[in-house]
Amino acid sequence: MIQISDLTFSWPGQSNPTLQIKDLQIKTGERLFLHGPSGSGKSTLLSLLAGIQCAQQGNIKILNEDLSALNDAKRDKFRADHIGTIFQNFNLLPYLSPIDNVVLGCNFSKRRQANLKTEGATATSQATRLLDELGLDENTQHRAVNELSIGQQQRVAAARAFIGRPELIIADEPTSALDADNRDIFIRQLFEQAQQYQATILFVSHDASLAPLFDRKVSLADINGASL
Amino acid sequence: MTLINLAFKSIINRKASVLLTLFTIAISVMLLLSIERVRQEAKQSFSNTISGTDLIVGARTGDIQLLLSSVFRIGHANNGLSWQSYEYIKAQKGVAWTIPISLGDSHKGFSVLGSDDNYFKHYRYGSKQTLQFEHGRPYHNAQEVVIGSEVAKQLHYYLGQEIVVAHGMGNTSFHHHNDNPLVIVGILEPTGTPVDKTLHVPLKAIELMHGPKHSTEHTTGRKDSSEGHDHDHDHDHDHDHDHDHDHDHDHQSHNYENLNSQPGDLIGQPKQITAFLMGFDSPFYTLQIRRNINIYKPEALSAIMPGVTLRELWSMLDIVEKILLLFSGVVVLISLLGMLTTLLSSLNQRRRELAILRSVGARPRHIFALMTSEAVLITALGCMLGVALFYFLIVVGKGVLQAQFGISITISMLSSYELLLLGVIMVSGTIIGAIPAIRAYFYSLNDGMSIKV
Repeated sequence: MIQISDLTFSWPGQSNPTLQIKDLQIKTGERLFLHGPSGSGKSTLLSLLAGIQCAQQGNIKILNEDLSALNDAKRDKFRADHIGTIFQNFNLLPYLSPIDNVVLGCNFSKRRQANLKTEGATATSQATRLLDELGLDENTQHRAVNELSIGQQQRVAAARAFIGRPELIIADEPTSALDADNRDIFIRQLFEQAQQYQATILFVSHDASLAPLFDRKVSLADINGASL
Repeated sequence: MTLINLAFKSIINRKASVLLTLFTIAISVMLLLSIERVRQEAKQSFSNTISGTDLIVGARTGDIQLLLSSVFRIGHANNGLSWQSYEYIKAQKGVAWTIPISLGDSHKGFSVLGSDDNYFKHYRYGSKQTLQFEHGRPYHNAQEVVIGSEVAKQLHYYLGQEIVVAHGMGNTSFHHHNDNPLVIVGILEPTGTPVDKTLHVPLKAIELMHGPKHSTEHTTGRKDSSEGHDHDHDHDHDHDHDHDHDHDHDHQSHNYENLNSQPGDLIGQPKQITAFLMGFDSPFYTLQIRRNINIYKPEALSAIMPGVTLRELWSMLDIVEKILLLFSGVVVLISLLGMLTTLLSSLNQRRRELAILRSVGARPRHIFALMTSEAVLITALGCMLGVALFYFLIVVGKGVLQAQFGISITISMLSSYELLLLGVIMVSGTIIGAIPAIRAYFYSLNDGMSIKV
């Protein structure tokens, strides 16, 4: 699913590289826990995987597509088609209902819309189903986003990442605002959805206690040559 | 969910600031359209005031002053011209018709115009249209009056009614020609010109009002009793009241009997008139006779070609209306700059929103389109609201404009020029909206999915 080889990335104006990763492979369907303290380059790696930034050296291949060979527009399209992201602070649009926030996930991708069509679903019906599966009742689905609890907001963010069956789900510290019980429930639901939709999960967190829940744990500090 | 839908929901989310911007644009659009409509209608009614007249002749004065006093009833002619001069010029070769005009009296604020039967035969307005009677007929004798449509409408006058006219101009007159009541024998159809606000009487009626008989009677008549004691005054007042009351009943019952009058002399023996209108057999005579009039020895006279003077007058007003249009254009620009300020100031707060959209796959061009469509939506809604306010203003202000300025505004669809103005506003709004959109585009390129606010 993801192959990173000989990657070097420096932020503009910095002489020292932020990331230097010789090799990182993530298999399809794998649930990988990427651990690293603050400032270890987690967010930088995620922006490289999402195609927002481009590596100066080396390459990143996702689904056998070399991101460095794609131009900006194609990288944007690739992200929209194949990657769903769950953020630490959920990043929901406050002026949209939970349903509309979820539908937004396939708004900019024809591939995700086509996937829905293949399943015989519409964006709204799929959004409703995802929210149902994640435990949000119908009444909650149409309330204002800022009236939802933190846990409910996080589930809306997860549903948005899954809509249209993207192959890769990137979760950037999604549980940091949740208490231990809700955190475990959320991760379990995340895995259930990933299994159902055959998605690979790259879960990034500084909280090492979550590691046992995942198939594999990778410490960014161990693989990042720049921080060694 | 389309981008427009998203833009709309985003706008609703920021409704307070957006509503303010929207109202600013709406009011400026309303102002621009109103000024443009009034300008067009004023120009239309202005150029329609007189047509088919080759020359207007009056005592020596400025061209525009003569036009204003004789056609628009604005201001007063300082001098009249003698009847002898009128007769002399009228008899010149090539003169097809003449209409003598005597102004100076008024009735409840409406001008009284003395003339002869040629007025109804030869006076033209608009596209050489003749005066048409809504009710009744032209005057036949010196006791009859033909009133314009506005006079009838505003004073609720009807055919056969007797009225008295006052000496001097304006609403308040201290000298009533009570001894010479006139019967309304005709009500003209609306023309959209000063004719609508004029009472037309024969020249002889003017002469009778100002004649020696009148002055004698007036100085010794009932009105002078006001100089006496209070009792007399009260008595007179009561008497007048009863008198008027009786008259009203008479009018209702003898309404049409008054119209069956015998034709009589319309001209009398006037010494002076204010001006006269002339038409020629051929345009060839116009310049020649105009030159002759301007060098006419016995009396200092001016002859103007109304078309030329109308254009001169309009070109003077043209600057004013252009300045007005410029001001309203500036108001529109300021309102659009207000929108720019609102969009730019909210942009920094919206970087988070843009980053969210980027994270769900929106490309920078989507961000650009979203921001631009917001500006287009605000401008379009502002224009729509502005048009609605504009029509509301027309409906409300129509009567005032007609009554106070004589400009009749028709409630019609937007003209192609007005639509063009709206188009220019829309294009300007889009261009101005592109400024924050370009900024948002670069923000979204730099920020990516991470929010650096």
